[in-house]
Amino acid sequence: MAIPIQRVTFDRTLLLVMPAALFMMLLFIYPFLYGLLLSLNPPEGDWLDNYQKFFTTDNLWPTIWTTLRLAVPVTLINVGLALPIAFKMRVHTRYQRWITTILVVPVSLGTVLIAEGMLTYFGPKGWLVQTIQFLHLYEGSIRLTHNFWGVLISLVISGFPFCFLLILSYITGIDPALARAAATLGAGRADQFRQIYLPLLAPGLAICFCLAFVQSFSVFPSAVLLGAPAGPTRVISIAAYEAAFEQYDYSLASAIAMIMGFVQLLIVAAVLGLRNLFYRGPAMGGKG
Amino acid sequence: MNNDFKELRLDGVTRRFNAGGKASFNAVSGLTLTIKQGEFIALLGPSGCGKSTALNLIAGLLPLSEGGIWLDDERIDALPPEKRGFGMVFQNYALFPHMSVMRNIDFGLRMRRTPAAEIATRVANVLKLVQLVGQENKLPGQLSGGQQQRVAIARAIVIEPPLVLMDEPLSNLDAKLRLETRSEIRRIHRELGSTTIYVTHDQEEAMSLADRILVMIDGVVQQIATPEEIYSQPANLAVASFMGYRNMLELAVERQDGERVTLAGPDVRITGTRKLPLTNGHACIAMRPEEMVVGDGPDGANTFSVHIDGVEYCGRDSLLDVTTGAGFRMHVRTNQRFAAGETVRVHVPVERVLVYPPA
Ligand SMILES: Nc1ncnc2c1ncn2[C@@H]1O[C@H](COP(=O)(O)OP(=O)(O)O)[C@@H](O)[C@H]1O
Ligand SMILES: [Mg+2]
Repeated sequence: MAIPIQRVTFDRTLLLVMPAALFMMLLFIYPFLYGLLLSLNPPEGDWLDNYQKFFTTDNLWPTIWTTLRLAVPVTLINVGLALPIAFKMRVHTRYQRWITTILVVPVSLGTVLIAEGMLTYFGPKGWLVQTIQFLHLYEGSIRLTHNFWGVLISLVISGFPFCFLLILSYITGIDPALARAAATLGAGRADQFRQIYLPLLAPGLAICFCLAFVQSFSVFPSAVLLGAPAGPTRVISIAAYEAAFEQYDYSLASAIAMIMGFVQLLIVAAVLGLRNLFYRGPAMGGKG
Repeated sequence: MNNDFKELRLDGVTRRFNAGGKASFNAVSGLTLTIKQGEFIALLGPSGCGKSTALNLIAGLLPLSEGGIWLDDERIDALPPEKRGFGMVFQNYALFPHMSVMRNIDFGLRMRRTPAAEIATRVANVLKLVQLVGQENKLPGQLSGGQQQRVAIARAIVIEPPLVLMDEPLSNLDAKLRLETRSEIRRIHRELGSTTIYVTHDQEEAMSLADRILVMIDGVVQQIATPEEIYSQPANLAVASFMGYRNMLELAVERQDGERVTLAGPDVRITGTRKLPLTNGHACIAMRPEEMVVGDGPDGANTFSVHIDGVEYCGRDSLLDVTTGAGFRMHVRTNQRFAAGETVRVHVPVERVLVYPPA
């Protein structure tokens, strides 16, 4: 019997994505191409001169490491902290809503507000330092602002709620019957986490890692306000800012932005590549 | 956990849930039952009567509010599920979606740190038993519902648990597959001799599988008996109604003679067998549609004229919707052909009319 061949026809509902596609073009792709061309057109010299300059100038290329040194630990801390807390919060308890609310509040604060608060609480004359010294917990000098740690803490505060909410939604999407099935088969709590939750969460964790990483890699306000923008927290976005608004070299600034984007892309691609090693289907254990 | 136990004893097992606000209700109350090793028990009851709750209590997935569970002399109701080691087949299978069929099945053995060689032989055996050889490397999502069901069963029995718990394992399968898998379950039970508690809301399923059936309604055990007894001698009106005694009439008691009770209504007089002591002057009779017979009874006993309102064709036979002259509705199953609007005489044997106190 001949099986009628079904031709794949153009699905006209796809036209519905046109406005969004147009919007993307105008808002992202055009500036990207514009910046790329700008970066390849230095005021004087060869077309790759800006890139050559970046990788040979002593206060430019190390900003990649400075930024990575900040962004990678921050992302690991945020994801690593959010995972166990979200895991604890997966079951509904009386306190769950309160704890979730408290954990999520910093999302509503801007980075600048967090920076101001931190300067007050964590500064050299701030409450935290004074309390520690008053209680004689630590006698040496404590500096948590205007250095690496200040930026790190502020990025954790602003990035954590995001990771927490994202991971919580991934965890609640996992059918709790799976862990119960594992329990009846002899898996204790640790094994239930390792064998069931972790592998099913891994793709979500990868996404969370990427988003959190991109967020902290492009750090700017807290690096200036809470860090030491001349030295240890001279992140790549500061270098781009200086090129654009202090030296008025938009071409170099564009090149730096391109490099920044490329590094992000590299990390994201690596993490998403790892993600493909894991099961990515629905986290449900059967029909209905 | 010992595999050579003699019996599992449930003693007054009770579980309360919040019913919103301060109110609470018993989802399972006072469940007392002794299960012998090798027995197949069906937990039968309408949806929402507390069957899953009871099973979860036995598996250790829910804490008890009251009562105790003993495996011989060992009290096990405080043990977590992973220490009880009962195999459980979940209603929606709960297969691990990220693990192959093989990994799903050997999960319990890996958790028990069974040597690899033994895992290999045991998994191979159980794959043969559930007829899934060749499917080892597929993910659950790539299997049909019936295959998934068999993986779930294999995963539970490969650990050779002292007790296998099944929560409506066939409810997601289509009719044909349900029948096939039902005989599979029966065969596996026969071959392994594993003690099984099987939850279902389907009386036919319970009767075809179980050595003994426990009927539960609203969290309360109504009757524990063999399938024959549950089918032909329901302990009370609620069980009778659940077991398919669709014809129920409340009538006045005219005469009692030991177990024989005669009841009368405006245009019917029926003699039946009393199952419970009757207190006031009224009683309820329960009759199965398939035990009503078209035609006059011997000596005209238990015979009445009915008007056929509707005919439901069922293949081998038909179900007649009938009313007596005084408007009592009844159902009669027959393999003779009738049309709506006809009037027929039907009767029912005295011993097949069960008489209970009214609800
Ligand atoms: N976690 C729970 N909290 C509150 N009520 C519950 C909970 N689980 C079950 N119930 C209630 O207990 C009753 C019995 O449920 P269940 O055991 O699932 O019934 P069955 O499996 O027989 O259909 C139902 O009324 C159900 O709403
Ligand atoms: Mg249920």
